[in-house]
Amino acid sequence: MIEINNLVFSWPKHPAPTLDISKLTISQGERIFLHGPSGSGKSTLIGLLAGINAIQAGDIKILDTQMRQLSAAKRDQFRADHIGTIFQNFNLLPFLDPIENVMLGCQYSKARKSKLTQSLQQSAISLLENLGIGHTLQAKSVSELSIGQQQRVAAARAFIGQPELIIADEPTSALDADSREAFIETLFNQAEKYQATILFVSHDHSLAQLFDRKVSLNEINGAAQ
Amino acid sequence: MNLASLAFKSSWNRKSSVFLTLFTIAISVMLLLSIERVRQEAKSSFANTISGTDLIVGARTGDIQLLLSSVFRIGHANNAVQWQSYEYIKQQRGVAWSIPISLGDSHKGHAVLGTDSSYFTHFRYGKKQMLAFAHGRAFVNGGEVVLGSDVAKKLNYHLGEQIVISHGMGNTSFHHHDDNPMTIVGILKPTGTPIDRTVHVPLIAIDEMHGSGHNKSPRIVDNPLNKPSNEAAYSHDHHSQSEHEHSEHEHSEHQHNEHGHGEHEHSKHGHGEHQHKNHQPVESKPGDLIGEPKQITAFLMGFDSPLYTLQVRRNINQYQGEPLLAIMPSVTLRELWSMLDIVEKILLLFSIVVVLISLLGMLTTLLATLNQRRRELAILRSVGARPWHIFSLLTGEAVIITLFGCLLGTALFFMAILLAQPVLQAQFGISLSLSMLSSYEVKLLGAIMLAGTVMGIFPALRAYYYSLSDGMSIKV
Repeated sequence: MIEINNLVFSWPKHPAPTLDISKLTISQGERIFLHGPSGSGKSTLIGLLAGINAIQAGDIKILDTQMRQLSAAKRDQFRADHIGTIFQNFNLLPFLDPIENVMLGCQYSKARKSKLTQSLQQSAISLLENLGIGHTLQAKSVSELSIGQQQRVAAARAFIGQPELIIADEPTSALDADSREAFIETLFNQAEKYQATILFVSHDHSLAQLFDRKVSLNEINGAAQ
Repeated sequence: MNLASLAFKSSWNRKSSVFLTLFTIAISVMLLLSIERVRQEAKSSFANTISGTDLIVGARTGDIQLLLSSVFRIGHANNAVQWQSYEYIKQQRGVAWSIPISLGDSHKGHAVLGTDSSYFTHFRYGKKQMLAFAHGRAFVNGGEVVLGSDVAKKLNYHLGEQIVISHGMGNTSFHHHDDNPMTIVGILKPTGTPIDRTVHVPLIAIDEMHGSGHNKSPRIVDNPLNKPSNEAAYSHDHHSQSEHEHSEHEHSEHQHNEHGHGEHEHSKHGHGEHQHKNHQPVESKPGDLIGEPKQITAFLMGFDSPLYTLQVRRNINQYQGEPLLAIMPSVTLRELWSMLDIVEKILLLFSIVVVLISLLGMLTTLLATLNQRRRELAILRSVGARPWHIFSLLTGEAVIITLFGCLLGTALFFMAILLAQPVLQAQFGISLSLSMLSSYEVKLLGAIMLAGTVMGIFPALRAYYYSLSDGMSIKV
């Protein structure tokens, strides 16, 4: 699913590399807990995996695609087609309603749209129902939803059109302990339906036991001190 | 959901600042369109006032002054043309027609123009249009009067009514010639020129009313037509400009009662009657229209060939009998434009600057809110939006704001025209048409749209670089 080999990345004006990963392999359907305190280079890694930043040295292969060989536009398209993202908080565009926010996941990808069995709107609605956002909540404005509910809407946006990889960047850090596990449970249920890979990035060790595998960025990143 | 609706919804989310910006643009657009419309209409209004006249001849003065006083009733002629000179010049070879005009009197603030029947057969305005009668006919004897359409409308005059013409330009003239009531025999169709606000009388009437009045009047000395004395000039400047415009209504009431004295009953009766059976032609016998005038203000001439125009013009300018000036209206009009050109350009420049300021206001607002929107941009990037999507989104927003600003501005512009129309018509004789946007105005709007789009490029570029550097990491 994901293969990283000899990846070295340094930001402009920083002489020392931020990231230096000799090997990381993640297989299809795996649920990975990527532990990374701040400064460990996790934002950089996410940027490279999602194709925001260009690879300088080494390579990343996702779904048999060499990211290095893709142009910036192709990487954007690749991200639109194959990767769903959930951020820490305020994932949603405040001027769109929850359903529109979910539909946004397919906005830039024909491939994901084509995987839908129903209309885009209907898919968004049923996905929201699956993730526990019922009819009344769907009609509300995004700002009226609780953070937990917002994160569920964000998860629905990440899952719509069944992208192979879900990157979740500390999605639970704004939630209380009870809702954290429930949220992760929901993610897993959804991912299981079509064997999606989940890359869950967090600095909260207590969640690690829920995952198939734990990867510590500090350990694999040769550049981190 | 496409980019446009995304831009629209995002703008709507920040509606208070967006609406303020939009409103600023709308007002500036309204200003620009109004100024340009008034400028153009004023120009065409002026250009349409006289047509087909080859020469205007008056006492020696400035070219533009003669044009303004004889055709536009702006200012006044300081001197007059001797009737003998007119009689002599109109005999010249090649003269197709000539119209004597005598100005300087007024009726309730409306200019009185003394002329003869050639006025109604030869005068042209607009695109060589003849004067046409809405009701009635031209005058055929000395006791008849033809009104411009505005005069009739404003003073509510009808055919057959009798009115009294006063001497001097002011509404407040002391002596009304009660003994010379004149009958309205014709009302002209609207022309959109000063003719609409003119009372036309035969030359003999002007002669007569001054002749009979000159004993009582301190202002008329020996020559009844020599009214543009300094005094008259003074009274013109003061009364005709402001005073009687304001007090027109009171005055007209007042005067009516006053000068009605002798025929009070009659005139009232007449009024009532004509309200009902309005447009009945007035029967009368043809009589002398000219009388024995000593002087006129100016005269208009048409020639058989342009060759004669130049020749006669030269002769007139060198005329030995008295100092005269002959101008070609089209040439002088062009001179007038070139004089006003700089003023026009400054006006245009100012309104363009106002539009630019409003667009810069939009730029400021967009740039100021951009930082708060970096999250929005990051989210869009995370779902696969490319940097150029972000760029188009921001540009699209500027386009939307400018577009709606232009639309609202155009609506406001039409409202402004609607409101200003009667005032401009009454005060300056500029008839504004409530017509659709001209191609020039559409081009102006196009230029504003273009400028708005260019403005949008700045925040869009910045957003573009934000989206490249921030990527998906949310930095707010």
